[in-house]
Order: sequence, then structure tokens, then C-alpha cells
Amino acid sequence: MALASAPTERAFAERRERDWSTLDAIVRVALLRGPRRLRPEDVRLLPALYRDVCGDLSRAQAARYSAPLIDFLQALTAQSHTVLYGAHAARQTERARLGAPSWTTAFPVAVRRHWRAMLLATVLFFVPFFLGLFAALAEPQFAFRVVPEAMLRPLTESYQRGFADGRGSGDDTLMAGFYVNNNVGIALRCFALGIFGGLGSAFYLVQNGLFTGAVVGYVGSQGAGLNIFTFIVGHSTFELGAIVIAGGAGLALGWSVVAPGERTRVASLQHVARDVVVIVCGAAVMLFIAALIEGFWSSSSVPIPIKLAVGSVNFVLVLAYLVLAGRGARETLERAP
Amino acid sequence: MENAAPLETDVAIETPEHIVFRYRVAGPARRALAYLLDLVICYSALLVVGVILALAVGAGGALGASSESLMKAGQGALLVGLFFVQWVYFVVVETVWGRSPGKAALDVRVVTTEGRPIGFSQAALRNLLRAADALPVGYLLGVLFMAGSRRFQRIGDLVAGTLVVVANEHTRAEPIQLWPPARPDELAALPERVGLDPEERAALELFLRRRGRLGAAREAELARMVAPAFARRFDYHHPDPARMLAILYDRAANAGREEAPPSSRHAHGPQGAGAKPWR
Repeated sequence: MALASAPTERAFAERRERDWSTLDAIVRVALLRGPRRLRPEDVRLLPALYRDVCGDLSRAQAARYSAPLIDFLQALTAQSHTVLYGAHAARQTERARLGAPSWTTAFPVAVRRHWRAMLLATVLFFVPFFLGLFAALAEPQFAFRVVPEAMLRPLTESYQRGFADGRGSGDDTLMAGFYVNNNVGIALRCFALGIFGGLGSAFYLVQNGLFTGAVVGYVGSQGAGLNIFTFIVGHSTFELGAIVIAGGAGLALGWSVVAPGERTRVASLQHVARDVVVIVCGAAVMLFIAALIEGFWSSSSVPIPIKLAVGSVNFVLVLAYLVLAGRGARETLERAP
Repeated sequence: MENAAPLETDVAIETPEHIVFRYRVAGPARRALAYLLDLVICYSALLVVGVILALAVGAGGALGASSESLMKAGQGALLVGLFFVQWVYFVVVETVWGRSPGKAALDVRVVTTEGRPIGFSQAALRNLLRAADALPVGYLLGVLFMAGSRRFQRIGDLVAGTLVVVANEHTRAEPIQLWPPARPDELAALPERVGLDPEERAALELFLRRRGRLGAAREAELARMVAPAFARRFDYHHPDPARMLAILYDRAANAGREEAPPSSRHAHGPQGAGAKPWR
């Protein structure tokens, strides 16, 4: 009997045609040029038109109108829904719901929340690092097993020369570009491959630790130890710290798959992913800073004591930021639920 | 039995208004094409930047600057560009537009599993995890995960909680109309209710929509294949099988509706069989 009260498809479509095309036009503008480009009167019309079309869709489905009409109404509903419940609105409500800390403290808060993974990443990086360092210091030939000789020799020569003359500005830019592409790339990959139960991150951490340790050890064994130390002291906090943090984020991601707890594996993954994306972005910013320091400051001819002082200050600042920033916010966040 | 269910490439999403609409999930082929297109766009842009930098280096050399130093600066800038292409491009464009230019060209977009547009964190996660999907070579792992997932999600999609769907097009087809209108003699033997199940209606509808484009011979051939079955079922016979299907469909779709055309009104109604033909 529901059929009896419904108009024919043609009559229905003719009657609603105008509203549909108005909504269609509004939605097209919003999707192509962004919701900010809508005229005020269109913004006022949009919710009412959307609700009407939702109703039209239910009526069309109940009356079993032809497939093209129902497809059209579904598409129109879907697109209006996209505009009305857009990314902007979703972001606002999510922020309000989570009471998320401001962006300056979100990074250290998220890092501290995964402190176990961070600790493990530190161990996975620095144990091979010191192994490589001491092995290469004791037996320089060891370094060639880890790092190709063709790469080590010119590197060592450049450190032996020292940085008294500085470097050309062209070289500086080239090296900064290289560090951005190479180091940030390594850190991001180190994070992403953590998805495989953390194994990818662990591998990258160990490999990079051993590699870095062997390079420093070998250069040190060739009598350029002070030079390479003053070179890396400025940026190493940012660079090594960021690689360890990105690796730790990967480990946390991998662990959420291995031990999902009360959630399903996918749900656990998505839960941890919310923190992890903040951590990775923070690590990427750290690496950009590191690349700038490494390209333009570390290789400069600034006197050694100043470089050492700046390096220590960097270390203390970064550590204090990671350990202390947003402590109060963290507590309120934990008490909230 | 889940194995017996038909292969679904749709996902249903319920809005706060309790309206359920469906998205068609984009398959691997479409997404691979979109990705290739994005690669072409990115590397062409990088090439253009490279050429401009090379020209600038040449011009700087002519003005007396050290061309070796300039060249190295240019290389550094290109390396930064390479980093942007590999890691930043997708995150930025998908955050801003919800799809990359390649995806736009192939009419797909990224939405969350709730059917909402994605934000920065989803765009960042799904694109950082490309590194895992691309393993061991040519997105093999990503394709395997898509094959295993009901909604064609690669690893990055699973972590970010996103789907790639075919953007719904909204072109509207006119409702089917019986033309020329039914003559009284055609309606005389027509049963008042023509009960067609949804699949039969959809099939007839598809046929009737393609009528004009089929060619007369093919149209008659197709109609003759099913017409006898309907003729027996409703005890209704018509010399032209295609016309018969059209009349049956018209009655099934419009019988009993308000504002129905006379051909589908009650045979003895106020504007019964003797009334003027309906236009």
C-alpha cells in the first residue's frame, strides 16, 4: 500500500528537480573551489537542501524508483555529506573531543607516552653505535666491513683537512640538500617499516648505529677524531635523536600489531597511529633543523670551543624539551577520561 | 556463509541523518594509473625546475660568479625537490584537496572509513606508509594487502583508516516513459498488477534505456528471448515483443501511483480507457 501513496517517478522528479539542481550547483562550487567560496545565501540553504535530499533518497528507495534516479540521489547525498561534514569540521570536533595539547607540546607529550619504545630504540641504535666505534678505533680494518672503503677514504681525508677554511656556500647548499633528502628519508623509512612488527625499524636502527659508529671510529683512528667530533657535535642531537625517535615510533606501531590487547589488530594500529603521526612529524622537523645546522654551521670555520659550547647547549635544550615540555597538559589529559 | 556472498566492491556509509549511501571502492588498476600519473606530474615538475636552475647557473656563470659553486647549490636544491616529491607531495595535496591530481584525473578520492574527507594526520599516515606498501618491488605488498582486504585497503589505508573510492558522478537520467502512449486495445488484456521482482525490473529498465541505441534487429532479437516467458506469466500477448516489455514495465513501475499516466491507472477509473492519450 506504500506504493499507492507515492507519485510516479516522473512527477516526483519534476517536483523536486529545482532543489536538486540548486544543491548540485552549491556542492560543485564547494568541492572544486572550497567551502569558503560559497556565497552566504548558499551556506544558509545548504543544510536544509541536504536534509530534503536525504528524505528524497529514502522516499525514492521506498517507492522503488528506477536505478538511475536512486544512483543520482545517492551521489548527491554523498557529495553534500562530504561538504557538510568536511575535513575542517571533523578536525575541529576531534580537537575539542581529545583536548589535544597545542602543537608545540604535542610532540614531546606523544614521545613520552611511548617511552618504552623510545628507550628500546635508543638501545638498538647506541649499542651498535658504540660497538662500531670501539671496534673501528681498535682495529680500523673493521670499518671497511661496514662502510665501503671507497666512501670512507675521501671522507677521512676531508676531516683530516679540517674546517679552518670553511666550505664554499655552494657546497653548503649541496650538502644541506643531501642531508634533507638522505637523512629525513632514512628516518621516515625507519618509521614506516616498523609496521612489520617493529622489525624494519629495529633493522634500520641497528644498521645506522653500526654505520655511524664505524665511520666516527675509523676517522678517529686516522687522527682526525677532534675534527669529526667538532663537526658532529652541533647537529648530532637533532639528527641522531630524530632517527632514534622515528625508529621508536616505528617500534610502537609494530608493537601495536603484535600485542593489540583488548582491541582488534587494526583498531589497535589506528589507535597508536594517532600518536605516532605526531611523533614522526616532530622527528622530521628535527631532521630539517639538523640538515640546516649540518650544512651551514658544522662545516663552518667557527672556533672549536664555540662549536662545542653550541653543541652542548643544543643537547640540553632538546633533552629538556622532550622531557619537560607539556608536563601539565599531559596530566590533565590523563585525568580527563 | 561468507564465501558464498557475491563479490562486493561497495561500502555502505550511514550519515547522522540515518541515510545510508554507497561508495564504490576503487580497484588496484585505477589506483595504479592514478599513481603513475602523479609520478609523471611530479617528475616533470622536477625536470622543469632542473632546467630553470641550469639556466640560472649558466646566467650566473656569465655574470662572473663561480659556476662550480652555483652548480652545487642547484644540485642541493634539486635534492630537496626530490625529497618533496617522494615524501611531501602526496601528504600536502591530499590534505588540501582530499585527492592528488592523478586521483582527480581518474575520478577517485580518499575518504575515511566513515565516509568523511581526510585531514592531515590521515594523509600523512597513509602516504608515509607507502614505503612499506612499495616493498619488495612495485607496490607488491600493497597489492597483496588490497587483495586480502574487503575494501581494497593497502597497509597505509589500514593504518590511517581510509578508503579510496570512485567519486560519485551525478548525472541524472530521465525516467523511462512509454512512448507512444498505450492504445486502449493494448491495455484491454493487460493485468491490473504486474508483479516484477527488483532484478527483473532492473533488467527491463536497462534494456529499455538502451532501446534507441541497439538497432532494430538486435532490439527485437533481445526482446524475443525474454518476451515469451513474461507473456506466459501474465497471460498477455502483443505482436511486438519490445513494445510488450515496455508496456509491462510501465504498468509495473507506475500502477497505483499518484499522477500515474492513464495507461497505468485503474482501467475503470475516472479517466479510464476511453480518455485522451496521455502525453
